[in-house]
Amino acid sequence: MSGTPTLSVHGLHVSVDGKEILKGVDLEVPQGEVHALMGPNGSGKSTLAYALMGHPKYQVTAGAASFDGADLIALPADARAKLGLFLCFQYPTAIPGVTTVNFIRAALRAQGKEVPAREFLNRLAAEMALLKIDESFRQRYINDGFSGGEKKRSEILQLAMLRPRLAILDETDSGLDVDALRTVAEGVMQLAGPDMGVLVITHYPRILQYLRPDRVHVLHAGRVITSGGAELAQRIERGGYEPILGAVAAAPVA
Amino acid sequence: MTAPLAVRPAAEIGPDVAAALAAASPPWLADRRRAAWDAYATLPMPSSARDEDWRRTDISGLHLEQHRMLDSVNATVVGGMRREHDAAAPEAAFAIDAPGTYQVVENADALLAQGIIVTTLEDAASRHAELTRRALAPLAIDESKFIALWNAVWRGGVFVYVPAGVEALAPVWIAHAVAGERAASFPTTVILLEDSASLTVIDTYTSPKGDVELFSDTVAVMTAGRDSRLDYCALQQWGDGVWHVATRRASLGANARLRFFGATLGARVQKAYWEAVLDGAGAEADLFGLCFADGKQHHDHQSLQAHRAPETRSNLLLKVAVRDQARSVYSGLIDVAPEAVHADGYVQNRNLLLSRGAKADSVPRLEIRANDVRCGHGATAGHIDQDERFYLMARGVPREQADALIVRGFMDDVVDRIPHRGFAELIGQLLDAKIGGPAAAEQGR
Repeated sequence: MSGTPTLSVHGLHVSVDGKEILKGVDLEVPQGEVHALMGPNGSGKSTLAYALMGHPKYQVTAGAASFDGADLIALPADARAKLGLFLCFQYPTAIPGVTTVNFIRAALRAQGKEVPAREFLNRLAAEMALLKIDESFRQRYINDGFSGGEKKRSEILQLAMLRPRLAILDETDSGLDVDALRTVAEGVMQLAGPDMGVLVITHYPRILQYLRPDRVHVLHAGRVITSGGAELAQRIERGGYEPILGAVAAAPVA
Repeated sequence: MTAPLAVRPAAEIGPDVAAALAAASPPWLADRRRAAWDAYATLPMPSSARDEDWRRTDISGLHLEQHRMLDSVNATVVGGMRREHDAAAPEAAFAIDAPGTYQVVENADALLAQGIIVTTLEDAASRHAELTRRALAPLAIDESKFIALWNAVWRGGVFVYVPAGVEALAPVWIAHAVAGERAASFPTTVILLEDSASLTVIDTYTSPKGDVELFSDTVAVMTAGRDSRLDYCALQQWGDGVWHVATRRASLGANARLRFFGATLGARVQKAYWEAVLDGAGAEADLFGLCFADGKQHHDHQSLQAHRAPETRSNLLLKVAVRDQARSVYSGLIDVAPEAVHADGYVQNRNLLLSRGAKADSVPRLEIRANDVRCGHGATAGHIDQDERFYLMARGVPREQADALIVRGFMDDVVDRIPHRGFAELIGQLLDAKIGGPAAAEQGR
């Protein structure tokens, strides 16, 4: 199952407004695998997501990150997207005046994935039906006045339309009720496979019941402190983070 | 129509021009022109040192006496304006206001059959003297240097009159065209709506592209009777070398309703007054504007919402984007007279700064002399939001294109409120072209 790493992160240090959040993250996600990045609040999970996608506020001060062999650090966000990276935002930004439909078309065009208008609209209708998104969505501005659930569905719709090679889901489960969580998770699982890997960022294991990760990594205080199989998520589900953090702290430093 | 007013070809603005025009005018207008010239000659040129209105707009480089009364107009310009009309509002009557050369009213049969008058202001002044006098009443001859000049030497112009109870079946589209180095032009629209009449007017202003120096002293004066409805749209897309001074003033009777839209895209320096005077009880005015300034453009908008009667309502929103070295100046006043009880007024100016060198000043003000009113104002200025840009870029949209989408989105609520759909689409296209970026051009809905 495991192939050559698509996403490769080594010793990554990231600061926000001069404050160091990530202190040497190591992480590898091979093509087509589903990985979970877990950790308590404030461990730096979202910082890693933003830094990997290239938000200018997140300053890489040391280390390396590459995608499919290409150095990510030097690239602006749009170039990272063209390589095949996709970030499902935890808090998607509202952009009044720009409709989501026009935006998705512009994004497809920018990524060289443009399809004829009819095919585009057919695909859009099909994906909207799968995600149970209302028709009125077509006329609405990006995330403008959306409920929490609508924002998350809109993110997954964009994911489905853009078909990236690696989807980073930043706390996509937060703020969703059980039904919405299932819809969103099923939407992701339809897409996950050899062509699209997933890095699920969450502090809450429920979404992993749907997404069934190949690997689970635990981030704490800006570093990946342990990694394991799906059973690691179950341990966290049962006992929380503290036993794991304690065990790592007690282990001798290599 | 009467023969166009003639002056010595290419005469510079001066007393002989004013005298010649007065001599060729009907007596009531001749008196008005002479008095106006005297006022013009007496009034000092506005100065940023002396005049509060002009504090942030420097026109010391404008030498009026060097500008000439030209009869030439560029056929390319007129052709382009005709195509804009044909694409955006083919149903509209089409009037060209290019004095001496093109003074044309076309496609107006349906309106004329309703008893509506659409003709040149020169023609109206001769054949409908009383209506013309009434229509010009909101404009005092000597209220400013530029209004006085306009009153003395205007030519051509377009006059639209809608009789009581008549709802115009089609809009009137007016193309004000000017060409020629150092031309002086006096683009004019005069509208008179009797009680319960309704009308849509679209004013467009174009000169050759490029840096040809021109001077435009623009007047649009509107009088809307009791219970009337007026939709008015203006598009200023002069070339890069134009000095544009404009007064657009609407006087509204009881329960009259004005929807006003203005787009400012062209000219080198603009000083534009947008004024709604709510004279009758229950009158309502909604004023929306957008302005995109780049290069070295300087756009000054000064608005007035004058509440003169009880239960009047007004709302103004001006959205401005400035790029490069461009500068926007906005000042706006809601003035509530003591008799205007229960007035409801709001004025808002929002600015988007797209370059370090670009600047926007904003001074909305309230002057309230009545009790029991509801009035407010707001002004904002800011850069493109970094998170908005990042969101779009994270989907693969390059930065410039992301910015273009955001700017267009910023303007969109104003574009959506343009009362004529075809004209709104034209504004969207012109805006996209000016914002630039291939995505922006394709974003139109």
